[in-house]
Amino acid sequence: MGFNRKRKAEVEIPTASMSDISFLLLVFFLSTTTFDIKKGLGIVLPAASKEDTQKVKLKQDNLTKILVRADGVVLMNEEEVSYEQLEDRIQKLVRENPDMVISLKTDRDAKYNNMVIALDRIQSAGAEKISLSTN
Amino acid sequence: MAKLIRGKRPKASIPTASMSDISFLLLLFFMVSTVFVKEKGLNVILPKANAIEKIPRNHSVTIYVDSRENISIDDLIIPLENVEYMMANKLALDYNSLFCFRTDKSTRYGVMSDVLKQLQQANALRVYFEARLKR
Repeated sequence: MGFNRKRKAEVEIPTASMSDISFLLLVFFLSTTTFDIKKGLGIVLPAASKEDTQKVKLKQDNLTKILVRADGVVLMNEEEVSYEQLEDRIQKLVRENPDMVISLKTDRDAKYNNMVIALDRIQSAGAEKISLSTN
Repeated sequence: MAKLIRGKRPKASIPTASMSDISFLLLLFFMVSTVFVKEKGLNVILPKANAIEKIPRNHSVTIYVDSRENISIDDLIIPLENVEYMMANKLALDYNSLFCFRTDKSTRYGVMSDVLKQLQQANALRVYFEARLKR
């Protein structure tokens, strides 16, 4: 007498909704991802002066002093200039004398924004030797 | 009159079999590139500048200074006198550290000058002033 063997049900993992799940996760990451790209104006500060530090005196011809006053006005070698003029004049100076050092001094009561604008103009003009005076 | 036999139009369908592969690929990309912000920092409005450059993220230490002259490092509001100690510690952990200022554009420059002095004392000399690109 023959026994009828029961057929085993096929086992499988349903994958039909796999793309739905992955798209859901994809949308989550798409909406939450923020690319943290930092950008800014770079500068290297001089080392803190110590007693044994040798000080080098710069020639007056190789130094341009820029002062940002508390009211936002910029003085270049004690002459008032606009931010637009500042870039052009420094560009000219640096082209004529590549050793030119630009010393940027900002009044303590001036806004940080004015200092950044001045620094931006100086760097845009191609000046590489920039000294940031702290007061 | 002969009867014209209309040819059967082939069924048009978009193959969707590789849809889940594509979405998983994109998902993987976003999962790998997502960076969750570590610190909340302070609420600041950055100044705008043209000559900005990309700041290497992996070595950067961010210093927040808001318009009320609060200084925040690693989500801690710290007094000015402690900046030197904290920066010296950061430098001891990673000698290649870069110090990025996230300063509100309306902040008084005086506080920035004081923080810069503290950085000089700690020998943290590579400084960036974070800014947004001027359009």
